[in-house]
Amino acid sequence: MSEQEERLIRCFASVFPGATPEEIRKLNSESAGNWDSLSITTLTAVVEEEFKVEIEPKLISELNSFEAFQDYLRRAGR
Amino acid sequence: MKLIEALEILKRPAAEGQGLRIFLGCGFTPLHLQTFLAAQLTTAALGRRMEVRNGLFGDLAGSIERLDPSGIDTLAVIIEWSDIDPRLGMRTLGGWRPSQLDGILDSANLSVARLQHAVAGISHRVPTVVCLPTLPLPPMFSTPRIEEHAVEAQLRLTAASLGASLSQQFSLRIVNAQLLDETSPLATRYDLKSDLASGFPYTLQHACAVAEVLTSLIHPREAKRGLITDLDDTLWAGIVGDDGVDGISWHLERHTQMHGIYQQILGSLAGAGVLLGVASKNDSAVVERAFERSDLLLSKADIFPFETNWSLKSESVGRILKTWNVSADSVVFVDDSPMEVAEVQAAFPAMECIVFPKDDSSGTLELFKRLRDLFGKPVVTEEDSLRLASIRQSGAGRELGQSSPVTTEDFLKAADAHITFDFVRPTGDSRAFELVNKTNQFNLNGKRFSESQWRTLLSDPESFLLTASYKDKYGALGKIAVLGGRLRARMIHIDIWAMSCRAFSRRIEHQCLHYLFDTLAADEIVFAYEATSRNSVLQEFLTGLLESQPLPGASLRKDQFAARVPRLFHQVEGIARV
Repeated sequence: MSEQEERLIRCFASVFPGATPEEIRKLNSESAGNWDSLSITTLTAVVEEEFKVEIEPKLISELNSFEAFQDYLRRAGR
Repeated sequence: MKLIEALEILKRPAAEGQGLRIFLGCGFTPLHLQTFLAAQLTTAALGRRMEVRNGLFGDLAGSIERLDPSGIDTLAVIIEWSDIDPRLGMRTLGGWRPSQLDGILDSANLSVARLQHAVAGISHRVPTVVCLPTLPLPPMFSTPRIEEHAVEAQLRLTAASLGASLSQQFSLRIVNAQLLDETSPLATRYDLKSDLASGFPYTLQHACAVAEVLTSLIHPREAKRGLITDLDDTLWAGIVGDDGVDGISWHLERHTQMHGIYQQILGSLAGAGVLLGVASKNDSAVVERAFERSDLLLSKADIFPFETNWSLKSESVGRILKTWNVSADSVVFVDDSPMEVAEVQAAFPAMECIVFPKDDSSGTLELFKRLRDLFGKPVVTEEDSLRLASIRQSGAGRELGQSSPVTTEDFLKAADAHITFDFVRPTGDSRAFELVNKTNQFNLNGKRFSESQWRTLLSDPESFLLTASYKDKYGALGKIAVLGGRLRARMIHIDIWAMSCRAFSRRIEHQCLHYLFDTLAADEIVFAYEATSRNSVLQEFLTGLLESQPLPGASLRKDQFAARVPRLFHQVEGIARV
C-alpha cells in the first residue's frame, strides 16, 4: 500500500467509521449507505486538509468513489 | 487539531461517566465547528460522551426562543454578522447600495435587540456561552477598506453593545475576542467557497479556534488559589540585601518597569481573593523595611505569610502551603532563579513553578498573560476578599493556641462566634456552587456538579439547600459551608455537604447538624457518604459521631447526636425556612 493510499484510507475511515481498508478501497456513492451530502462535504474537507489541495465545488459531484479521489490526488500531484 | 483527528476522537467508544448535552445555536450550517466542538469537549471531559445538537439554518434567534432548556446542559451561541442581517453575509443578494445601508443598520439594531432578549432570557435557565461576530464584515461599504465607514462603525458598536449587555448576566460567559484574535488571525477566518457551497463560513483553522475557546468556557479548568513569589529580581529588580532598600526598583526610569507591572498584577490577584505568599532567601528585617516603601504597588497586608529566611525554598514553600491549608496543585510558584524553581518543582511536582524571565520582555508579557489564565475566574465573590484575612486570623489563632494554656473550650467560648444559616436558594449564589466543586477535605462524597446539574438540584421542590456563614471576633469567614438534601418522614437525607478548610476546628460542622435536627424536626440523618482519597477530615468527623468508620448511607439518630456532640458556643441565626 502506498503512503498516499494509506492516508486516503485514513481520511475515508474517519468519515465512514467501521469500514475496513479493503471495503474502503471499493467504496463508492452507490455502495455506501451513508454517502450523502454531509459525508461528502466532510470527506472533501478532510482530504483538502490532509493533502493540502483545494477541490473545486464543481468537481465534487465527480468524486463519487475512493478510486475517484485517488485519481484526483494523482492528477493534483499528491 | 486537524479535522481528521477530531473525527477520530468522536469514533472512539465513550468513557464511563456523565457527558454533556450542548445546544450549538448558530445561524449557519455548524458542520465542522460541531465536529471540533464535540471532539474538544470529549477530550476535555476525558472521553465522556458529548452530545452536540443544533438549531435551524438561518434562524438563530428563533432557535434560541424555541429551545427547551430542560434537555440541555449548556447553550453555545455563535453570532455572526449574517445573523444580525442576512445582507451582512455573502449568501444573500439583498443589495449593498449606499442608500440601503441605513436600512441594514436599522434591521441590525432590531435583530440585536431580539437576540439580546432571547439569550439573556434563556441564560437564567441554562449555562450559556456566547461568541460575538468573528468574521470580517463584507466589502460592502463605499469607503476604501483602510477607512472605516460610519455604518461599519455603528454595526461594530451594535455588536459590542450586545456583548456588554449580555456580560451582565449571571451564568453567561462571552468569548474574549482579543484572545481569539491571537489564535485565529482575522484574514484567515472566512472561507467563501465553503460558505457558498455548504453554508459553513469558517476555515477549518478558525472553526478549530472557535471550538477551542468555547470548550474552555464550557469546561473551565479550576483556577489556582495561591501564588508564592520570590522577592529579589522578581517582585523588584535588584538584591535588597546588597543594593539596599533604596537600591531596588520597579520603574521606567531604571528600566525595571516589568517588576512594577508584576506587582500590579499581584495586587489585582490579591483583590480577587488569590492568596499571596513570599518565599525569599533574605534577612526578614531588611524585607520588612523594603515593604515600608510607599511606592510599592503591593502592601504587606496583601501577603501572608512571609517566609524570609536562608532555608531551602521548598521548605519555605511547604510551610506556606501548611499555613494556607491548600494542596500544591492549587498553587503557583514564581522565582527568577531556575535552580530555585527546579528545587521547588522537585519537592512539589504538582505545583506550577515558573521562572520569572527578568531579562526577556516578551517572556515577561507571556508570564503576565499566563497568570491571568491560571488565576482568572468568572466571578469574584465577597468570600474571595475575606480569604486572606481569615487565614491570617486563623494563623494568629494557632499561634495563640500554641503559646497559651487556654483550652479549646475556653478559646471557642471566647471567640464570640456567630453562624447564619440560610435555606434560601438564590440562583445567583456562585459561592455555594464553588464550595461544593472545590472542597476536598470536608466533602461528604467528592461529588462535583456542572452548572446545569446544580440548577436542576436547586429547582427540585423536594430538596433543600442550606448554607452557613460564619464570623467571630477575629473576623468574618463568609459563607463557608453548604448542605443539600431531602426531608422524608422525619428523616433527613444529606446528599451534599462541603465545608471550607478555613472553617475547621470551630465546631461549625456540629452546629450544622444540630441546626438541621432542630429546624427540620427530624429524628435521623442519613449521609450519602463516600470515602474519597481526600476527604479524611470529614471521615474523622463522622467516625467521632458514629463511633465507627462511616459507610455509604451511614445514619445518625438525634439521640446519638445529642449524646456525642461537644458543647457549642455559636450564636445562631436562621434567615429562612424551607
